[in-house]
Amino acid sequence: MKISREQFLSLSGMADEMLNAWIEEEWLIPRGSSPELSFSEIDIARARLIRELRVDFGVNDEGVGVILNLVDQLHGMRRTLRELRQEVRTTPEQD
Amino acid sequence: MNDPYETLGVAPTASAEDIQKAYRKLAKKLHPDLNPGNAEAEEKFKEIASAYGLVGDAEKRKRFDSGEIDAAGAERPPQHYYKDYASSEQDHPYADNSGFADFMDSEDAFAELLRRSARAQANRRGHDLEVRLPIEFIESIAGANKRLILPDGGTLDVDIPPGITEGQVLRLRGKGAPGSGKGGFGDALIEVEIKPDRLFTRQGDDIYLELPVTLTEAVLGARIKVPTPTGAVSMAMPKGSNTGTTLRLRGKGAPRHAGGYGDQLVKLKVMLPQEPDPELEAFVSNWEGGKTYNPREEVKP
Repeated sequence: MKISREQFLSLSGMADEMLNAWIEEEWLIPRGSSPELSFSEIDIARARLIRELRVDFGVNDEGVGVILNLVDQLHGMRRTLRELRQEVRTTPEQD
Repeated sequence: MNDPYETLGVAPTASAEDIQKAYRKLAKKLHPDLNPGNAEAEEKFKEIASAYGLVGDAEKRKRFDSGEIDAAGAERPPQHYYKDYASSEQDHPYADNSGFADFMDSEDAFAELLRRSARAQANRRGHDLEVRLPIEFIESIAGANKRLILPDGGTLDVDIPPGITEGQVLRLRGKGAPGSGKGGFGDALIEVEIKPDRLFTRQGDDIYLELPVTLTEAVLGARIKVPTPTGAVSMAMPKGSNTGTTLRLRGKGAPRHAGGYGDQLVKLKVMLPQEPDPELEAFVSNWEGGKTYNPREEVKP
């Protein structure tokens, strides 16, 4: 689903300047180029995670970047593990 | 649901600050996005989140403490976490495989598996696109060019080969969704749906048509025009044709797989004039032969 900048702001409840700052930090990576940016559901969920990290967990801005980076690496590894499992399952056993 | 104070591990007399502290401490440990793959943590997180939703809010806490609302009222609708999207098979801009790049550099079988998997991820072929395409019966026999409107608003020109059958799937290579890297496009899979025709039906490669004829044509024979899916043809109807008589138009059916064509089978249906005809009535009442032949020989009661 494509979500415009205006829709994103209203769905995420974010202020305009804050969104600019998060894009600047590459915490959020919308598709397209300014001013025609488009977002999707993953950006909404990621924005909520960032907000929870900052507001609920009291993580500061440096910490947010570190956590996002580690979380994304973790997902990359989980995805690869999943693919490896698939590979192992589909590769016929040799005798 | 359990007692929210118990869930958060605080006394019912705890200050708002202590409650927040307790929640944050638990949430940091149990947040589903920081524990992807840990269903137990997610379950526990849901409990502490709804407990905090209740007693972490001064107004709601007051109403809960006075017994005005109960803990069940604080249950939250299920929400999607970042991990639900980040772990999907679809590509997204946050994907990061750098966490095990060093594993890939070695020479063992495991590294080879990792490399293969990384290549597959980088060059994943796009999804196939499945579309249903309703066509007219005549188009299914004669073939047609159709333009399809896709769900995303694009169009697709489809060349329907002559003789296609119901449910047959046409694969248009490279007309599906885009892939990633060198993955290329998926295919478009077009499932053909043939609308029933007013006149024709099909069995195998043969086409059936019921054709009304006049009494005169039936008795005396005639050369008549017969519709076929590929245009009208002239057919000789022998003298004495009856209702149910089936005449075969060779090669006027559907194209065969192996080459050549099926036949069209024309089943005649003798029709009396729609308005009563005094002349016909007069003739039939004087017609001796009509009183003696018995068409119900086979169906005697």
